[in-house]
Amino acid sequence: MDRRRPDFETFVAASTDSLMRTAYLIVGDLPDAEDLVQETLLKVAARWHRVRRMEHPVAYARRILVNRALDDAGRRTRRRRELTGDVLPDRHDEGDGSHAFDTHDELLRALAALPPRQRTAIVLRYFLDLPESEVAAAMKCSLGTAKSTAARGLARLEQALRTTNDTRSIST
Amino acid sequence: MTEQLEAEVRAALRARAAQVPTASIDRLARIDYHPRTRRLRPPLAIGALTAAGTAGALAVVVSLTAGASSAFAGWTPKPTPPAPGQLATAQASCEGGQSPISGLPLKLADTRGPFTFSVYANDTSSATCIKGPSFVSVSGSMASTAVNPPADQIMLSSEHQTNHGQGFSFAEGRTGAGVSGVTLTLDDGTNVQATVGGGWFVAWWPGDREIKSADLATSTGAVTQTFNLSPEIPCRTDQRCSSTSNAVGGGGPATRGTAVTGFASGGGIGQGTTQSYNRSR
Repeated sequence: MDRRRPDFETFVAASTDSLMRTAYLIVGDLPDAEDLVQETLLKVAARWHRVRRMEHPVAYARRILVNRALDDAGRRTRRRRELTGDVLPDRHDEGDGSHAFDTHDELLRALAALPPRQRTAIVLRYFLDLPESEVAAAMKCSLGTAKSTAARGLARLEQALRTTNDTRSIST
Repeated sequence: MTEQLEAEVRAALRARAAQVPTASIDRLARIDYHPRTRRLRPPLAIGALTAAGTAGALAVVVSLTAGASSAFAGWTPKPTPPAPGQLATAQASCEGGQSPISGLPLKLADTRGPFTFSVYANDTSSATCIKGPSFVSVSGSMASTAVNPPADQIMLSSEHQTNHGQGFSFAEGRTGAGVSGVTLTLDDGTNVQATVGGGWFVAWWPGDREIKSADLATSTGAVTQTFNLSPEIPCRTDQRCSSTSNAVGGGGPATRGTAVTGFASGGGIGQGTTQSYNRSR
């Protein structure tokens, strides 16, 4: 055995945290995210003899996770409609909390409303801080597509924040 | 503006990601992900279960007890009286930790040899828990509306799970007000008697046989209800698949809940309209 390469258990221990938090941000629901991570790791385990030789096994796992999440997006969206209350915190009344919290809240609501690919690109780019080339690799698309997808997502988030701020200005 | 926005997006994402419970990550990290065999039963059990189609339920018992390693040794096609402490032990195992059971009252417990299968439910949510000598598996489902079958009918949800290459299936659901007994007939002819009470029934069996029909004892006589259950999501290795049916008026699948999940030594999860939480001990 090549001792420079991680064994699967070490890989799981090192990558589960990141995969789970990424999955949660993409699908917006804990049980769905857990499912996604579990299915991802099952697939990685089945191919571990090849994956362990890769330079970045976690990038491979991330690609599986992202593609599975996007494949399942329609089904998960259906479920979120039934469990809307579980997805995001209730909206806070005006003036009852800090601006930072309100901003997070609105951003997260806007993020949840993004098309799945845009949401995924935003999560990969701004949560994992992946370079655009790795976002493209994870989403199995061209660099240009990854850039434009993230940019469109960011623009929507900005628009959502602007609308919220305008509403807040009018109401105060 | 863009830099500020990007900073706020990063902060919001981190705050949101921080909401993931550490227990959830720990549970995922403890799971045994190593590939398992695709067959749900060892060949011995396959042959015996096929024979059960003509020989009846006794053949099932023989096949299961013949394999010393079977996770389901001791299962019986009819419910058995619980051993002293069996129900309390199962309840403690099922209700411990984070699970879909939380907050749901216990409706029914089915015991077959060393196994206890419990149903927890309210009007729109249900959760099941099977406790065996070496494992506990919990899963839950949610309905959009309360389920109220006609007096002489049942409405069921059926699932199939595999664990380390050995599978089992179960059916649980509501009974009409006039139903006092339920015996399921599987597609290989095996009969499995359900435990019935409080407007609920539950039965389970080793293997992946689908339910073909149910013979019901009702206040107006015997009724046979037929089903046409097919998994809504293709069932894959070491996952849980489910079929549901309102089955009123002769059957046909109707969505109430669906699930696909891994099933592993450390924990597990569900999706679709089903939330689940599996763990083995």
